[in-house]
Amino acid sequence: MNNAHIASAFDRDLERVQAMLMKMGGLVETAILDGAKSLEARDLELADSVRKGDRAIDALEEQVNAEATRVIALRAPTARDLRTVMTVIKISANLERCGDYAKNMAKRTTVLAETPPVGSASVSIRKMAREVQLMLKDALDAYVQRDAALAADVIQRDEDVDQLYNALFRELLTFMMEDPRNITPCMHLHFIAKNIERMGDHVTNMAEQVVYLVTGALPDESRQKQDVTAYVSEE
Amino acid sequence: MNDMRLIDRKTTMNEIKIAAEGVDVFYGESHALKDVSVDIEERTVTAFIGPSGCGKSTFLRCLNRMNDTIPTARVTGRITLDGEDIYAPSVDPVQLRAKVGMVFQKPNPFPKSIYDNVAYGPRIHGLSRNKAELDEIVENSLRRAALWDEAKDRLAEPGTGLSGGQQQRLCIARAVATAPEVLLMDEPCSALDPIATAQVEELIDELRQNFSVVIVTHSMQQAARVSQKTAFFHLGHLVEYDDTDTIFQNPRDTRTESYITGRIG
Repeated sequence: MNNAHIASAFDRDLERVQAMLMKMGGLVETAILDGAKSLEARDLELADSVRKGDRAIDALEEQVNAEATRVIALRAPTARDLRTVMTVIKISANLERCGDYAKNMAKRTTVLAETPPVGSASVSIRKMAREVQLMLKDALDAYVQRDAALAADVIQRDEDVDQLYNALFRELLTFMMEDPRNITPCMHLHFIAKNIERMGDHVTNMAEQVVYLVTGALPDESRQKQDVTAYVSEE
Repeated sequence: MNDMRLIDRKTTMNEIKIAAEGVDVFYGESHALKDVSVDIEERTVTAFIGPSGCGKSTFLRCLNRMNDTIPTARVTGRITLDGEDIYAPSVDPVQLRAKVGMVFQKPNPFPKSIYDNVAYGPRIHGLSRNKAELDEIVENSLRRAALWDEAKDRLAEPGTGLSGGQQQRLCIARAVATAPEVLLMDEPCSALDPIATAQVEELIDELRQNFSVVIVTHSMQQAARVSQKTAFFHLGHLVEYDDTDTIFQNPRDTRTESYITGRIG
């Protein structure tokens, strides 16, 4: 199929909005990595830059939405053009939320820097963050390349993030039972871990949206939920 | 508990109103329509889309034997209305066209008064017993075509004195006056402003409660808005025929997708 529209301005509009989305994705990837790095290294300056950087992500989301709305109003997109615009809007919303979680991680880092470290939790968190960032990178690559198989792979990998979270959840519980003075840092660490786990879910949504973009149908919900912490009680 | 998924959205299969099987049309040497088979459902709006010269209007004209009026035209294959072959020798084309009405792209009112334009069909087919009944048919038809308010005080004036958009609505009123079972519309809104277009689309939706409507349109958005089924024609072939939602969101054929997304002319 010929890829260019007869109205070339339509192509330029779509390219512009997709370029903004990719820029947004890059900023979120950096925010996730830097947030986790600032936590592990107790780098308050880096944490501060992550917090401030979220503004740019939010502003881009607004621009993406405004541009996508304009495309719908002017071009009345159909078929894969329509799916592209819908996907852009949904991915930008999910990216924006990931940015918020990264910002929250940076905020908590400034509190955690005042307390003694708890075990190797911040190392595990950085591992989780790295995992999610790689998922995000692949989800965005899958979007650019219109690669449903890669997107399906990203969806599967969310299990690994869930398992890392489960392990960390239990670890933090143990620390808190050992010494009540650990409760404050452990609560913060837990929120951070939970937020990264949520980022994994948002990236999964993006990957599902890519499957929709490519195939015209959302993937079946075949993955087993791996986050079992809702059922954990004190043993 | 009942499954609450979006079952209502699913298009239910209606009875077949018109069935076409292996239809070919030749205009002299030119092979305009190639082996088209399609089932037009009852109480459904079916849109025919495709680039100019793709055969969609040619096919539409087969459905009420308008091609009979072109000496060089030859139609082969089988088209049935309610199971009856409309090309059978026993079928009177005039009676057929009372059941299968048509509205053309260019407004073509008769050189008569507005009233007589609408009353013409009911008169020749004997659809009214007296003047009062005929008045009622005329008023109802003009109302359905969203022309009544503008025309009620000038019913005796010639139809040709109306504006282009009004003339088109007059032709629609004339077509619905005989209460056809199927209404064929060949780009009925191409000369209308957005308000008149919306009124015609409203009328199409209303007609769907009882009749089949087949509309040829160059407006993708109009096809998407008014129809439940869409057929895409290209170079004389019927490329894809499916639920309108499917055609506009996730078509199967790349030619369909290229056309509706504006990638081929």
